[in-house]
Amino acid sequence: MKRQNARTLALIISILTYLVVGAAVFETLESKQEKSHKRRLDARKYELMRKFNLTKANFEELELVVLQLKPHKAGVQWKFAGSFYFAITVITTIGYGHAAPSTDSGKVFCMFYALLGIPLTLVMFQSLGERINTFVKYLLHQAKKCLGMRQTEVSMANMVTVGFFSCMSTLCVGAAAFSHCEGWSFLHAFYYCFITLTTIGFGDYVALQRDDALQNDPRYVAFCFVYILMGLTVIGAFLNLVVLRFLTMNTEDERRDAKQRALMSLGKPRGEVTRLLPLSTSTSSTAVANNTTKAKDSKGAYTEVLHFQTICSCLWYRSKEKLQGSIPTMIPQEMTFSDAYLQQNSNCPHYIDPGSTGCVCSPRQCPSISSITTGLHILSPFNLFKRRSSV
Amino acid sequence: MESWLNPNKNIRAQRAGCSAQMKKQNVRTLSLILCMFSYLLVGAAVFDALESETENSRRRILEQKRSEMKRKYRFSEDDYREIERVVLQAEPHRAGRQWKFAGSFYFAITVITTIGYGHAAPGTDAGKVFCMFYAVLGIPLTLVMFQSLGERMNTFVRYLLHKVKQCMGFRRTEVSMENMVFVGFLSCIGTLCVGAAAFSHFEGWSFFHAYYYCFITLTTIGFGDFVALQKKEDLQEKTPYVAFSFMYILVGLTVIGAFLNLVVLRFLTMNTEDERRDAQERASLKRDKGLLEGKSFLEPFGFDSKVRNPPKHSEAGAMTENTGQSKITFLVKQ
Repeated sequence: MKRQNARTLALIISILTYLVVGAAVFETLESKQEKSHKRRLDARKYELMRKFNLTKANFEELELVVLQLKPHKAGVQWKFAGSFYFAITVITTIGYGHAAPSTDSGKVFCMFYALLGIPLTLVMFQSLGERINTFVKYLLHQAKKCLGMRQTEVSMANMVTVGFFSCMSTLCVGAAAFSHCEGWSFLHAFYYCFITLTTIGFGDYVALQRDDALQNDPRYVAFCFVYILMGLTVIGAFLNLVVLRFLTMNTEDERRDAKQRALMSLGKPRGEVTRLLPLSTSTSSTAVANNTTKAKDSKGAYTEVLHFQTICSCLWYRSKEKLQGSIPTMIPQEMTFSDAYLQQNSNCPHYIDPGSTGCVCSPRQCPSISSITTGLHILSPFNLFKRRSSV
Repeated sequence: MESWLNPNKNIRAQRAGCSAQMKKQNVRTLSLILCMFSYLLVGAAVFDALESETENSRRRILEQKRSEMKRKYRFSEDDYREIERVVLQAEPHRAGRQWKFAGSFYFAITVITTIGYGHAAPGTDAGKVFCMFYAVLGIPLTLVMFQSLGERMNTFVRYLLHKVKQCMGFRRTEVSMENMVFVGFLSCIGTLCVGAAAFSHFEGWSFFHAYYYCFITLTTIGFGDFVALQKKEDLQEKTPYVAFSFMYILVGLTVIGAFLNLVVLRFLTMNTEDERRDAQERASLKRDKGLLEGKSFLEPFGFDSKVRNPPKHSEAGAMTENTGQSKITFLVKQ
């Protein structure tokens, strides 16, 4: 089965299992308490009904009024400050629901607002997160130099550790601040920060809902907005570092497959193709290894690979001209090239007139191709999730 | 679209020197921040204009009703507070048992997809703690799964469109990006409409409210003002409807995820790829000068006075450019 399909299937099964396991655990943790809580509340409700001589209908009427007043209890929600708060919860997809548009036009605008705002916000947070990661990498590099360490390169492990600690401290700072300002326990404030910054946003705890804070306490309001946006940036940077590469796994595999199909269709002898195919797997193992003892070996491979790349670029440009129609049309749109690139052909040092097979490069003229290590990797489950490039 | 927003068109920027390229990522990031802030300000102003008046009048009406009732039943202030407290605490129970297996599964879905309605939230501290750990692992797993499945769907749709074009005897049978975006957009609208029809029937909402519910759910905002499966004991009794709701949410998120994978994902990796391209250029320059000795080329802000951009090195750069966002970046290693 194709690697991408196997990977996707494995992920689907993992998610479903994860959901089932989670449901079972939540049931164990919450079900009993729910039952006893409900019983207590029902008892209290009947007490109150007897005390004030209310019928069921009366009580239900009361209930309705109380529930409808709930959002208003927390103060004015739709003045500018409250609307800004709401707009943040929309485009970051936090969506507390402490205030939700009640007019139909508000709902319609909300949908269009989210349609443009959510992608914009996603791109912004990832962009800023990447800048932060780059800056942190630079700082760590300088720090390592100052500390006089032998190896001054910043490894992925370093970055992940720093990223993880930034996330934890962001959550703790928020927890301390909100537990003080909102009167929650530290655990509940931490839980609030976590649920907010992961954009889940239940709405069981919502900041700025006490004592009309939205209108009366502009500094606290500003702090909350800044905290949410900066916290999301820190989390976004960590996701950019750790998760983003996995989101593009399938797309890259498709590209690689399409490239290989294209290369194969140029009439390369099968032997050369199989020698070329494992290149990516052998490179991935060296890229992922990140080990100084392999640095020297990879340096040799690196030069060969760069050589190979420039050869291939000529090959590709040439083939695009010649084989316009016969390149498999499954190549994704992104792989069609603009004509500007074709003009660079003349600069290619490896451009040679095609031989009898139509191949531009042959092992005789390019010894590096034959010297690239073969070592076919057997497709193992682990390989499904190996990354092809490092940070 | 300006060339600096499109990662595939910066050849001239390359030739202008590495430091100008560094600025490109920073400029892009800064503009995005400014865009977002303006977007928030504009949104806040519009929401204020649309909702403020209604809020005021509704509040006045409800407060009037409240004082009427207080007088009618002769509640003191404390009495009312007591009743209010009981009613608010009983609110989640109004919709039936939330934490049996079906309800917990529903909750687990809202956690890992980050929808987070809040119709049910863990009451125990242990539940809160487990919820956090559950989310830490579940959310990335879900993101990766939806993007993976979304990509598979896009590939399959592209294949189908290609076959259709062949059958219909088109001259050019390649599937363009516009085709894919159009089909993706129609699928999203179709998914929302199907959901709207179903939920408006089962939950008794108007079509518009059901559509709004589907939209808010599938964009994972999840206000919780409309929540499915909350009519009395639906979670326990109407099992086929429960299964349908879960399937709808997961399949709908896949369709939206596929569309995002098609349109948005490339923009999420813009800065990272520009960084890689810069690093490759630095490395290829060093290679030419014979300076390759395992030295870290992590000089991210490019304050390297020796950096130049002779044209012949544009091939190596152009190679990766041609592969678009392809990560066959053999050169990026420590």
